[in-house]
Amino acid sequence: MPPLIVVDNVSRVFTSGARIVNALERISFEIQTGEFISIVGPSGCGKSTLLKIISGLLPASSGKVAVNGDLVINPLENVGMVFQAPVLLKWRSVLGNILLPVEFAKLDLPSHVEKARALIKLVGLEGFEEMYPHELSGGMQQRTSLCRALVTDPQLLLMDEPFGALDAMTRDELDLELLRLWEEKKKTVIFVTHSIQEAVFLSDHVFVMSARPGRLLEMLSMDLPRPRTLEMMSSPKFGEYTLKIRGLLSAGGGATEVIAGSTA
Amino acid sequence: MKPSTSNIIEPILFFLALLILWEILVEVIKVPAFILPPPRDLWLAFIGKLPILGHHALITFIEAFGGFALSLLLGIGFAIAVVYSRHLNNTVYPLIVILYAMPKSAFAPLMVIWVGYGLFSKIAIAFLVAFFPVVVNTVVGLKEVEPELLELARINRGSQFDVFKKIRLPNSLPYMFAGIKVAIVLSVTGAIVAEFVAANEGLGYLVLQANYSLDTAFALVILLTLAVLSLGLFWLVEIVQRKLAPWSAAVRQVEGSF
Repeated sequence: MPPLIVVDNVSRVFTSGARIVNALERISFEIQTGEFISIVGPSGCGKSTLLKIISGLLPASSGKVAVNGDLVINPLENVGMVFQAPVLLKWRSVLGNILLPVEFAKLDLPSHVEKARALIKLVGLEGFEEMYPHELSGGMQQRTSLCRALVTDPQLLLMDEPFGALDAMTRDELDLELLRLWEEKKKTVIFVTHSIQEAVFLSDHVFVMSARPGRLLEMLSMDLPRPRTLEMMSSPKFGEYTLKIRGLLSAGGGATEVIAGSTA
Repeated sequence: MKPSTSNIIEPILFFLALLILWEILVEVIKVPAFILPPPRDLWLAFIGKLPILGHHALITFIEAFGGFALSLLLGIGFAIAVVYSRHLNNTVYPLIVILYAMPKSAFAPLMVIWVGYGLFSKIAIAFLVAFFPVVVNTVVGLKEVEPELLELARINRGSQFDVFKKIRLPNSLPYMFAGIKVAIVLSVTGAIVAEFVAANEGLGYLVLQANYSLDTAFALVILLTLAVLSLGLFWLVEIVQRKLAPWSAAVRQVEGSF
C-alpha cells in the first residue's frame, strides 16, 4: 500500500530582520494510513512548523509534501486539528463549538449534529452539550476541541501538544481516551509532544528531532502491544524506549528542555 | 446579615449621612447659599423647576443620544472597513489616530461655524467625542482573534464572510461594548460642552443661566440630573451587553478622551 503521507527533503527557513533561522532542515519520512506517529524534540525544533507544512497552512522553503499521492499546495481538506490551547469560542456551547468546522465547510448540519452527539458521548461529555467553555474544566475543554477536530470525520488528525497544558492525571486520562478513539475510528495521527513518556505510550513510531536546525534524528518503532495500558509504563521495554529517546535528545542538544516524565 | 443586602444598605446609609452632615455644616458654619446651599434648597429647586428641567434634559438627551447613535453606526462601520481594507488602514486610520489625540470638544466653536447654532452642532460634537472609543476598541476586537481559529477556518474552507460573522464580530463584542460604555458617557459631556459654547436650550445652557443668576441650588440640581442621565444611559448599554454578549463580563478597554 502506498504511504498516506510522504515528506520529502523538506526545509523551512524563517528570516527575521538580518537573522536567518533554519527551523527545519531536510526532513524526510513516510507515514502509512492508520499509524500513530509522535514527534518529540526540544522547544524550537520546528515540530509545530512541520505540522503546519504537512497541513498545507505553511509552505515549505524547499522539498515537498504529498498526501494520498497529491502534492500539498493548499491547506488540506480532510484534516482535523487540535492545538495546545482548546481555542473554543466563548460565545458558543460545547455542541456549537464542535459544529464550527461543519458550518465553515458548509456540510449537512443535521447529520453532523448526530455525529457530534455521538462524539460527545464517546469522550464522556454527555450532559454538557449546552454548557459554555468557561463552565468547563481544562480537560473538558480539550475534549471538546478533540470532538471538533473529529466531527468532519477527517482521515488525518494533527495534534500540536494538545494535552501539554493539563495536569498529569487528566493528561493520562485523555491519552487513553485518544487511543480508544484512534482504535475505533482508524485515523492517522501525528502527535507533537514534549513528553517522551507520552510519545512512547501513544505511538507506533516516534520521530525524534533536534533543535536549531530542526533535524530528524531518528525514527523509532514502539514495539508494545495494543491496546496500551498505563501499567505498561513501568515495563522494561517502555523504560528502554524512553531511555533511548532521552539519549538521542541529549546527544542532539537541547535535552534540558525536554521533560521525560508524563507530568510535563 | 448577608453580604448582598449590606451591599445595598451600606451606600444608602452613607449617602444619607453625607446629606445630613452637609445640612448641619451649612447651618453651623453659615455658608452663604450662593456658595453652598443646603440639600433642602436643592430639593425645593428640583420640585419647583421640574418642568423646565425636564424640557432641557430632553434636549440634551436628544443631542447626546443622537451623537452617540451616529458614533455607533459610523464607528462600527468604519472599524470594519479599516480591518478589511489595507488602503484605509494605511491612509485614513493614521488620520483617525491623530484626531483621537486632539481634544474633540475644542471643535465646538468651529462646529458652530460649520454646522450652525442649532441642535446639529451639538449632535456633531457628541458624535465626535463618542466616535473614537467605538472605532479604536472595535478595531482591536476585530483584529485580536486567536490565529488557530483562523487556521481552523482555512482548513475547513470557511468563507471570509463566515470568518467575520462567526469569529471576528462576536470576538469584537466585548471590546466594542467597552468602547460603547466610554462613548455613551462622553457623548453627554460632548453635548454639554457644545451647549456651553453656543445654545439657548439644554442642560448646559441651563446651568450657565443658573450660574449667572447665582442660583447655585439649581445649578447643582442640573449637575445631578446630568449624572442621572449619564448613569441611565450607561446602564442601558450594560443591559444590552448582557443580552447580546453575556460572556463578555470583563475585557480591557482602550480609553476614550474628550
